Formats: sequence, structure tokens, C-alpha cells
Amino acid sequence: MEEKGSIKANGTILLVEDEANIAKLYHYNLTKAGFSCEVAKNGAEGFEKAKSVKPDLIISDIMMPNVDGYEFRKMLLADSELKTIPFIFLTAKGEEESILLGYELEIEDYLIKTSSPKIIIAKVTAILKSLEKERGKVVGEVQKAADTMGAKVVPDEFPKLEGFVVKHWHMPYKNVPGGDFIDYIKIDDENLIVVLGDVMGKRWGAWYFAIAYAGYVRSAIRMVLESTQDLVPSEILKRVNDAVFRDERISEVFITLSVVVINHKTNKALYGGAGDLPIVCKGDDVTTIKSKGLLLGFSKEGDYKDYEIDLKSGNEIYLITDGIIESRNKEGKMMGQEGLVKIISEIDSNGDSYEMFQKGVIDFTGNDFEDDVSLVFIKSL
Amino acid sequence: MNIVEELIGDVLVEIINVDRASYNEAAKFKEMLDEKIKSGTTKIVVDLTACEFIDSTFLGVLVSVLRKVSKEQGDLRLVGFKPAVRAMFELTRMFRVFESYEDLKEAVDSFNK
Repeated sequence: MEEKGSIKANGTILLVEDEANIAKLYHYNLTKAGFSCEVAKNGAEGFEKAKSVKPDLIISDIMMPNVDGYEFRKMLLADSELKTIPFIFLTAKGEEESILLGYELEIEDYLIKTSSPKIIIAKVTAILKSLEKERGKVVGEVQKAADTMGAKVVPDEFPKLEGFVVKHWHMPYKNVPGGDFIDYIKIDDENLIVVLGDVMGKRWGAWYFAIAYAGYVRSAIRMVLESTQDLVPSEILKRVNDAVFRDERISEVFITLSVVVINHKTNKALYGGAGDLPIVCKGDDVTTIKSKGLLLGFSKEGDYKDYEIDLKSGNEIYLITDGIIESRNKEGKMMGQEGLVKIISEIDSNGDSYEMFQKGVIDFTGNDFEDDVSLVFIKSL
Repeated sequence: MNIVEELIGDVLVEIINVDRASYNEAAKFKEMLDEKIKSGTTKIVVDLTACEFIDSTFLGVLVSVLRKVSKEQGDLRLVGFKPAVRAMFELTRMFRVFESYEDLKEAVDSFNK
């Protein structure tokens, strides 16, 4: 299993070098500079390591047995997943012809082994910083464009419903919008619909579908409202499922959805779910409700049901997506459903449960997540 | 790619040899299986014995392939659940979607019953 605790904040470097002493020297210096460093003895081993470790940057010698540096670089370029990893040649081959041959292979830099380790580290740091800056710029531009189109997957503000606090917490994976989406639809002064969805996938691909699905959910709710006064989650889920099941364009995309309709007059909530994680309710005890519904888009019959929850003053509901329970602590242990229930059980309900829940999750993970993280918190006042 | 393909009779077995089957493996795995289905494969067993964890992207691929192969009157069946993978399948009701088996032989044989 991947040792999560060993990954350093500065990133992981794969060093491909056949001479043990040189590998040892650079391994020492890279580790000292805060990088996690993996070493491979030749191009073939380097390729396997690159596939399993997915380093942030690769430093490779050229003259090596079995598969040399040029061949190794060509193998990486032929692999759609690995070709974008920044690559540096670090070699004794200083003649013009070798350098030009190196640059023809789309590398970031070509360094001669006479450079001191300090210079190598400075180059590596500069390359990674500049790529991060570039990435940030691109993400910023796309986010700006998405904002302009009004294509938000998470509302800017928390909704207002008399007698309740409803808040969300959302952190996209690596700051790139992903597949989680949250929506609130205020039907009237008495009813609020809370929606939490998760498109199976990550980052931009999932984000695109999250927007489409959020639209489907909204129109399903409108349709239900037009056809009946009885606004129940199972009917919303059924309508969304009917629509997406028929839509060939999204036939290979599946989502999980939790829908809660809160009524402030009756102090009741109705919950329905589709392939979602159990919701956690906290009153005198902590209980979970596991819906039976299948994930949306898979089957024509999704078996969607409603679950009624009585909300006394101080009662809380936690809706989450898998990024929370699948998060790991520094030792690599997954939180799991039990860990989630433990965090919620330990919250002092007299304090700010919403803040304390976040603190509990962040303390567990060390603020290092591997997926979108989303919570919708509902509290009856 | 740490995925081993094996043909046992007319059943395609995909052995997922990674600790964490995730976003990183999902796209290629889907590509591989889509190709196989296109060329007529309808009986698929995915062996998850080596997986300590599968994320929702990888699970999404399994569901997508299952749906595709079902349209061709085929099936994708699963074998080998480590505790965390089992927990995830239970939490998300996926056991209702996939047929699952205790060992590989049983899964392969199930197609010929």
C-alpha cells in the first residue's frame, strides 16, 4: 500500500540513475530539500516506477544498461498518462549533439552532472513552481469562464429557512472543480429542498457532468411541482433517473444523489437517496439512514423510497460525499463510516457542530484529501 | 498498467493488480474493456483480490462496462473483496447491481451454468 505519510509537501521526484553512488548523492540532497525521492536503476525500471508512483518530476541519466535515457523518454512520451510529467536529463554527456537530441524529446531541461546538487535542486524547484503557477493560471481562467456562464456547482450562499441552519462545506480536489454538487431550492416559506450529488469521476470531466446533472435535478423538481403538491424526494429521484436513463449522451456517467426536503412548519425532513452514502442524524443518539435507491442512470427502476425524520430542537443531519469517508490519516488508514460516526458523536452539540465537524475531518486527514470533499449540515433550532 | 488479462474458455478475466484502483487506472481500464466488448466479448470477470481500495471513478467504470455489456446480453461479475472494498460496495448498494463470487473459479463457472 502507498505510504501516504512518506509523501513530502514539495512533491515526489523519480530519479533514474544506474550509478549507485550518484543516485545516493542526489537522493540525499533531494530528500534534504523536502522532496520525496524514488530511485530506479534503468529506463525499464524507471518506466514501471513512473506508472506506479506518478511522480511530479523525473530526473534521468542517459547512459544506462537495458533501456537508456533516450529510450526511456520515448516510452514516457508514448504513454498518455506519463508524457506530461516534467522531465530532466542529468548526464555526463555534454556534447552539443547529445544535448540537442535530448531537447528534441520534449524535456524541461538538460543538466550536466558537473553541476552541483544545489543547482539541480534549484532547477527542480523552479520548474515545479513555474508549472504550478501555469496550472493555477489555467484553472483560474476556466473557473472565471465557468463563473461568467453561471455554471456553479456549489452555491455561494447558505440558504435561509426559518427554524433551521443549513450550511455546506465544499473543497474541490486539488482546487479543480470536480463531480460533487450542492443545490438548494426554496419552494416557499415552509419548504426547502437540499440536494447533494456526486458524479463518479474526478476534476473537469466530472465537473461538466455535475453541471448537467444539477440542471436535471432542478427541472425534475419543477416537473414534480407542476404535477403534484406532494413534493417528495423519491419522486424527484425517479424523474431524474427516468430522464438520465434515456439520455444516451450521459449513458456512461453515473451519479449518487441525496435529497432532503425540510419543512419548517412540521419540523420534519423527508430524505431519499440514490446510491449515496448513508446520512447521519444526531439527536440524543447518532443514527444513520441508508437509502435503498440505486445510483442514477443505471437502471430504469431505481427503487427510490422516502424516509421521514422528526427534527426536534438541536437535532442535526449530516449529508456527505465519499471524499470524506475515503480520506486517510497520516498512517494511511481510511476514515470509513465508523470514523465518520465517531467524529460526529464526539462533537459537543452545544458548540458550533458545523465548525467542529470540519475540524474533526481536517485533524484526521492532516488536511490532505484525495477527492472532492462535501458536507451539507442541517440543524433544527 | 497493472491489469492482467486472461481468457478462460470464453470468459475474459481482468485481474486488477493495484492496491488502489482509482482515477489513475480508470480511463485505461475502460478503454481496454470497451475494445473487448466491441470485438464481441460478453462474459467478463473482474478480480479485485489485490485491491485494498477502489474509488468512485473506478467503480463508475465498472458500472458503465456492466451496463454496456448487459445491452449485449452479457454480464460483468466480480470476485475478491477486501474489507474496505466490500464496505464501499455495501454502502452504495452496488451488491445489488453486480453479481459477486467468493473465488475466481466460481465466478468463471457461473457463466456456464
